[in-house]
Amino acid sequence: MKAKAEMDGIGGGGHAVGQPIKQRELDSHVKGQTLYYEDVKVPRMLHLKIHRSPVAHARILNIDTSKAEQSDGVVAVLTYRDVPATKVWSHFEAIGAAPGAEPILAVDKIRWKGEPIAAVAAETLSQAEDAAAKIKVTYEKLPSVFDVDEALAPGAPELFDCWPGNHYVFPDDHKAAQIRFGDVEKGFAEADHLVEHVYRTRPIEQAPIETAGCVAVPGSDGRYTIYTNSQALSTTRNSAAEIAGLPVARLRLVGGTAGGGFGGKVDMAIEPMALLAAMKSKRPVKYRFTREDEMTVSSTRAAWRVSIKDGVMRDGRITARHVITHQDIGAYLRNSIYGAFKHASHMPGPYTVPNVWADVYCVFTNRTPSAAMRGFGVMPASFAIEMQMDRVAKAIHMDPWQFRLKNAFRNGDMKAHRREVWDAALVETIQAAARLTAKDLPEEYRQMSSAKRPLSAPRIAGG
Amino acid sequence: MAEYLLPDTLAEAGEMMAAHGRSLAIMAGGTSAMRCGTCRGRRGRGIACIECAGPRLVSVPNSAYVMGIQRLGLDRLEADNGVLNIGAGVTMRNLAASDMPAALCQAARRVGGPALRNMATVGGNIFARQPYGTVAAMLLAMDAVPVFTGPDGSREVALAEFYTSGAIAAGLLTHIECPHPQGRLVFVKCARQRFAGPTVITVAVRIELETGGKVAAARIALGGAGETPLRAEAAEQLLIGEKLEAPAIEAAAAAAKAACAPADDPVASAWYRRRMVGVYVARALEQAGEGEAP
Amino acid sequence: MTAKRVSLTVNGRGENIAADGLTTLQQVLREALDYNSVKDGCTQGSCGACSVLVDGELRIACLLPAGGLQGAEVTTLEGLNARNSTSVIQQSFVEHSAAQCGFCTSGMIVSAQALLDENPAPSRDEIMEAISGNMCRCTGYLPIVEAVASAARKLAKGDGA
Repeated sequence: MKAKAEMDGIGGGGHAVGQPIKQRELDSHVKGQTLYYEDVKVPRMLHLKIHRSPVAHARILNIDTSKAEQSDGVVAVLTYRDVPATKVWSHFEAIGAAPGAEPILAVDKIRWKGEPIAAVAAETLSQAEDAAAKIKVTYEKLPSVFDVDEALAPGAPELFDCWPGNHYVFPDDHKAAQIRFGDVEKGFAEADHLVEHVYRTRPIEQAPIETAGCVAVPGSDGRYTIYTNSQALSTTRNSAAEIAGLPVARLRLVGGTAGGGFGGKVDMAIEPMALLAAMKSKRPVKYRFTREDEMTVSSTRAAWRVSIKDGVMRDGRITARHVITHQDIGAYLRNSIYGAFKHASHMPGPYTVPNVWADVYCVFTNRTPSAAMRGFGVMPASFAIEMQMDRVAKAIHMDPWQFRLKNAFRNGDMKAHRREVWDAALVETIQAAARLTAKDLPEEYRQMSSAKRPLSAPRIAGG
Repeated sequence: MAEYLLPDTLAEAGEMMAAHGRSLAIMAGGTSAMRCGTCRGRRGRGIACIECAGPRLVSVPNSAYVMGIQRLGLDRLEADNGVLNIGAGVTMRNLAASDMPAALCQAARRVGGPALRNMATVGGNIFARQPYGTVAAMLLAMDAVPVFTGPDGSREVALAEFYTSGAIAAGLLTHIECPHPQGRLVFVKCARQRFAGPTVITVAVRIELETGGKVAAARIALGGAGETPLRAEAAEQLLIGEKLEAPAIEAAAAAAKAACAPADDPVASAWYRRRMVGVYVARALEQAGEGEAP
Repeated sequence: MTAKRVSLTVNGRGENIAADGLTTLQQVLREALDYNSVKDGCTQGSCGACSVLVDGELRIACLLPAGGLQGAEVTTLEGLNARNSTSVIQQSFVEHSAAQCGFCTSGMIVSAQALLDENPAPSRDEIMEAISGNMCRCTGYLPIVEAVASAARKLAKGDGA
């Protein structure tokens, strides 16, 4: 046991908690000896360049790849015709994101500026770039929408026939991830004040120093190996195999070392494309985002619009919290519903509120599709909630620290998604922060504890 | 594919330039030209980086020849007879560490990080795309004169005129001459990071005061506020005969803000840049008012 | 147009490489000579992951034309690994957990070495300035600055001599 723990870099006794654990690759990192996917050199490797849409919303009338096919060094040119089976990203169906609607390569419609249309595999990257630039696509441009207000306006251009009004519809026919707990209308009726505000966040690129990339290598035994810096190795294997129409057993992924990710390497944007090109060219194919690709066409964190309405008593107790969130997910769903669920489950924040109502929508716009980034969906929730907490405190002329301490959840409280709190620590955390910043709290607040509630009644609301 | 040429003498460089004309790109430190040359946005992607945003007489990626200038002895840095002589190949590192006027050294030190300053040159900075050209803005405020060498001998063009006439090189830029600056020099840069922050805007001023504290001569040069570094001449005029105090400073800052024409780019919006021109011109003038004469 | 041959020294070994006008030192080191510590994070001189020493001075390899490097002495982290002072810096990075994903680390350590070669007792600000051309996205700069400061103290005491 001890030997194994030491091997894992864990201190004696096999206990990791409270022990400094040396990161496995630290020694090789500092010597520049860690092998990243790009350090694996494969002979006869081709380079992939994608021809992308210069327009945000259009119908494709024609794709002409003839000049690219004759260009120097080109070995394979792929369009949607080279994508077998469903032709769409379908792997997110595993988390309920159905039906898959994002083509691997565009078929008849463009929904965002940068959407991939054709792929060129050539002997050098320059040759692939030159050839990709020679692909001619004819478009019939369509009006586009770039934020949720535009997308939800009556008569707005729609991205999908199957999702009218640009609202994604969850497989259970709900348009939103929902929280229903208590009766917010009753809570508002009881409240001394109502405080309402809208909070917005903007998209952010994860910007790892190592851009997303992979090398797909055909093996002599009919199997394929992909060296990748993916953050989601096993889901990527399953989905790449499915898209390529390969049995999973014929695909091997090698990874685990990424030069940063932050969610930007979760949504397997590159491996299936490299695999398809390797299958068509029968050569190893490298597909790597340039820094520009990373900044302009890779998934970003979404733009979120969070509308919060709170009912609050003069003494600072929140009686009800009503939230409507619109996640601007961009042109395709990817794993955005996961973010919507996480956002919804974070409501109403680390506070005990007896009446909670939340609807979290995924809205399509003609922006770059969004995906995970550090605390997927939670960051905009926390941002909006904490801004709102300050706003409400100000409205009732209460110190924002005291206001938070008063409402912070305690062990035994029931959360809005019907899990009892058993490991609360917010009260103690705020108290510690107050001590560190010399914030003066009244004795009553210094004595508070997550273990018990100082106010008269326990705050376990029915729902 | 371009061929790399490395002449040993100015005469040899001149022959190469004459032979290859516009198919030859001159490269000093390479920090701008190589970035342009290896830019993968060039191939019809329609996404322009800062390097490409604007007319470039010689397209680096499409050049047949690239000429390095490091063997031409253009790294001299001298001050004699009241004239500063700064070689086009002087690196930012060497300029920053030199005994040139402190504000000029500060400007050099505010260019990029240490590795970049070991490479980037004064000559390159004269031609740098905005919002780069931090040192160029300072030189503009110092009435610097670039000296070019061409087939017909050398040619001097005042930096101000060079920029207002389209920044067209009259041969190979060998050095910059500059009268030893009179009055007070101030350099300030607006960036989002203290070290190695890309330029939002820069402001360089030179102020000569007469006895009694009134402004006798003023130069206000802006970087990142137009297609080239530019002089805020209306603002300069407003200062003449005034004391460097709040009303005159505010009027000059407002005039500089009104006259500049900054661009949107990934570093900052034109809207933000224009506001910062107002703020930083005022700060620079306040500092000039407080400072000691050099 | 021909690729020109350039003779230079990399990590103490003589090399003869082919370079056209826009061939970068980064391409030469990574692709032709397999020095994997030289990373490619941006190919535009912004991230510092390809920092190397040329004749003892810090350079950004992705902006440096290889065609002009005739006779130059290039040192990558692979070459520094043999130096005592570098191993002191590396040990400090390990002690301060100053490398998380590791992708910026080679460049950081080369920059730190260039700083300490020139200035054995840097202030905190001087350390921050010295690594300002090296971007890090996951470790955070604090442990890195601490690691460099601690390496400087150790080297001053003669621990790495």
